[in-house]
Amino acid sequence: MANVSHDADHEERVVELHLPSRLGYEKVAMDAAASIARRMGFSTDRIEGLRTALAEAITNAIEHGNAHDAGTRVLVILTVRPSELVVSVADQGCKPIDQSQLAPAPRIEDSFARADKGGWGIWLIRELMDKVEFTTAPTGGNQVRMVIYLEKQP
Amino acid sequence: MSDVSPPLSLELSIPSEFGYERVVREAVASFARRIGLNSERVEDLKTAVSEACLNAIEHGNAQMPEMRVGVNCVWENDGLTIRVLDHGLKRYAGHVAPCIVCKVHGEAPPRGMGLYLIAQLVDTCGFETSPDGGNVLCMRMHTRSMA
Repeated sequence: MANVSHDADHEERVVELHLPSRLGYEKVAMDAAASIARRMGFSTDRIEGLRTALAEAITNAIEHGNAHDAGTRVLVILTVRPSELVVSVADQGCKPIDQSQLAPAPRIEDSFARADKGGWGIWLIRELMDKVEFTTAPTGGNQVRMVIYLEKQP
Repeated sequence: MSDVSPPLSLELSIPSEFGYERVVREAVASFARRIGLNSERVEDLKTAVSEACLNAIEHGNAQMPEMRVGVNCVWENDGLTIRVLDHGLKRYAGHVAPCIVCKVHGEAPPRGMGLYLIAQLVDTCGFETSPDGGNVLCMRMHTRSMA
């Protein structure tokens, strides 16, 4: 219907994905989000950043929030607005997020000392996305909400 | 942790607006690649899923963006099952095989090939009854054809 009034409600479109808590399946959401971002007109660089941030958020949800439990799901909601894409990732919160991980940037010296060289996910998400919030999902799990703004090409 | 792993599955939903079928196509292709479908079968699946979503958007949900198209993918030992669900504003009324000669000669509209195409691309497909009155198109890709 082309002649519906263009109020705010009509300018928002939502795509929902429920993924299995298994590493590797974050790719499904990354490909879906990249498809939407391309359609919205984001640059290749920003799309690559979005893919990386989403991969980090979902692997965190699988590994930490859902503790690799095959019975749990990861919910990814992609909200398309005229000037931004909002991506939220929610887990089922078997393990609440460690608040101390949210604040300071990790130190490279500390990472070298870790066997997995990990701990950079949240820092990376903040670097790549324009706005990032960590909250509790309506289902009680952890939720990260990430926004990227669409800057029109001159 | 559960003792027996449930089958791997993916559920997604999109608004009923042309263009969003591409998001489903990418997501389903990605899922199919992960479970090990070969690239030719993935391409067939992408086309079949796009056609199914376009039917759901255009007919089942009459292009009302606030109505959702649901897509469920389940991977079990014997194959991949994909269901595309709509609200059934227009119900599936039995399949009529398209007359390709008529279409080529311009005696029939060029459109209306979606279900025919889907049936050629997947191993089995058919409509299921939905308790809430929507259309449910079920498509299956068997494991044996993955080689």
